[in-house]
Amino acid sequence: MSCGELTNDLVELARRGAEPDAALRAHLLRCARCGERWEAERDLTSQLRIIRERAAALGSPQSQRQALMRDFARIHRRPPVRMAQPGFPKWIWAMGAAAALLLAIFAGQVLGKHSIRRVPTRAVHNRGIRTDRTVLYEASASYDDQSDIDDSVFLSGSSGFPNGSGGFPDNEAVALSNDGFITVPYSPPLAPGEMVRVVHTDLYPESLASMGVEVDPAWTGELPADVAVGEDGLPRAVRITGNGQNY
Amino acid sequence: MQKSDEELYRLMRKGNQDAFAQLYERREPALYRFALHMSGSPAVAEEVSNEVFVQLMGPTTRFDETRGTLESFLYGIARNLVRAIRRLGPVAEPVDRPFRHDILGELITNETTAALHRTLREMPERYRDVIVLCDLEERSYEDVARLIGRPVGTVRSRLHRARALLSAKLKRLNAPSEVFSK
Repeated sequence: MSCGELTNDLVELARRGAEPDAALRAHLLRCARCGERWEAERDLTSQLRIIRERAAALGSPQSQRQALMRDFARIHRRPPVRMAQPGFPKWIWAMGAAAALLLAIFAGQVLGKHSIRRVPTRAVHNRGIRTDRTVLYEASASYDDQSDIDDSVFLSGSSGFPNGSGGFPDNEAVALSNDGFITVPYSPPLAPGEMVRVVHTDLYPESLASMGVEVDPAWTGELPADVAVGEDGLPRAVRITGNGQNY
Repeated sequence: MQKSDEELYRLMRKGNQDAFAQLYERREPALYRFALHMSGSPAVAEEVSNEVFVQLMGPTTRFDETRGTLESFLYGIARNLVRAIRRLGPVAEPVDRPFRHDILGELITNETTAALHRTLREMPERYRDVIVLCDLEERSYEDVARLIGRPVGTVRSRLHRARALLSAKLKRLNAPSEVFSK
C-alpha cells in the first residue's frame, strides 16, 4: 500500500479518534512523512474537538427566541371574527344612505334658490311709524328692482322728479291717486329723503279750494281729511275721508 | 412520533406556533454554531441564526420540498447571510472572547485555537464548509453532501484537503515553541 493510499485511512482514523492497526503502525514507524502526518492529524483533531466543545456552550440568548415567537404570533394573528349584523341586509342600508344624500342635495338647492331670491342686491329700508292721529312714513331710496314691497302705501321722496304732479314723482302720484289722495297743485317738490307726515284733520271746503283742489259745491261743512305734509309744513296731497266724501 | 422538518414547516405556514417553536429548537443551535464557525463572531452568529428564522416565517419564503430538505434550505440561507456579512468587511469580534478568564495553559491553547479560527476564516469557503460541518458539527459525509449539494466523494476529498491545510498551519504555529523548548 502506498503512502497516498494510506493518508486517507490516517485522516479517517484520526477523525474518529481510533488507533491504527498493526500494519499501519509498522508503516508509520518506517515512513517519517506518514508519521508526521499522523501526528498532525491527531493534533488537529484534538484542537477541533476543543473548539467544538467550547462552541457547544454558546448559543443565542433566550430573548431572541422570545422575540421571534412574538413576531410569529403577530404575523399569524387572525382578525377577529365579526358577527353578522342582524336586521336589514347591507344593500338596503346603502340604498337608504343614497336616498338621504339625494334628498339633502335637493333640499339644499331649493333653499339656496329661495335665499338667493330673498336677498336683495341693494338693501331696502322702509319703516312705518303709526301715532295716535298721525302716521309717519319714511322711505329711503330703493334700488332693488325685485323688491316685493308695495310702494303704493308709501310716500317716498326722491330727487329729480318732475313737478307736474305736485310734490311727487309721476309713479308716486299714481300710487297716491289709487290710495284716494289728491295731489295739491303747484306744491314744491320733496327733497331727496324728505319725510312726509299724513295728518288727519278737518278742513273747510274753502281751505281745499285755496290749495287748488277742486271742491264740490255740495260740500258745506268741515270735511275729515288726510293731508300729506312735507317737512317744510306745506301740504303735498289731500284725501277726503269719512262721510265728507259724500258731501 | 417526531414530525419531520417539512411537516413542521407546513404546519408553521398555517400559523401553528408550536411547530415553529419545534423547528427553532431543533435547528437553531446548529445554525448558530455554523454561523459562529464560519464568521468567527458570536454577534454575527446571533444575527444570522435569527435572520434565518425571520426569513423562514416571512411571506416571501421560497422553500420547495421537491428541490431539497428544509435543513439544506436553512443552511443555504445561513451561508448566504454569512457571506454577505463578510463581504461588508472584517468581523471585529473574536470568537474566543468568552474564554479570556482561562489560566496560562488555557491561554496557550486559546492561542492555538484562535490561530485555527483565523486560518478557518481565511480558507476558501468550499473547504471551510466541510470542516465546519464534518469536523465541528460531526455530520456524516452523506449529510454534508446533501446540505451543500455536492457528491459524497467531493465532500471527502475537500475535507482531506482542508485538514492538510489546517495541519500545516498548526505545524507552523507550533514550530517556534519547539525551537524554544530545544
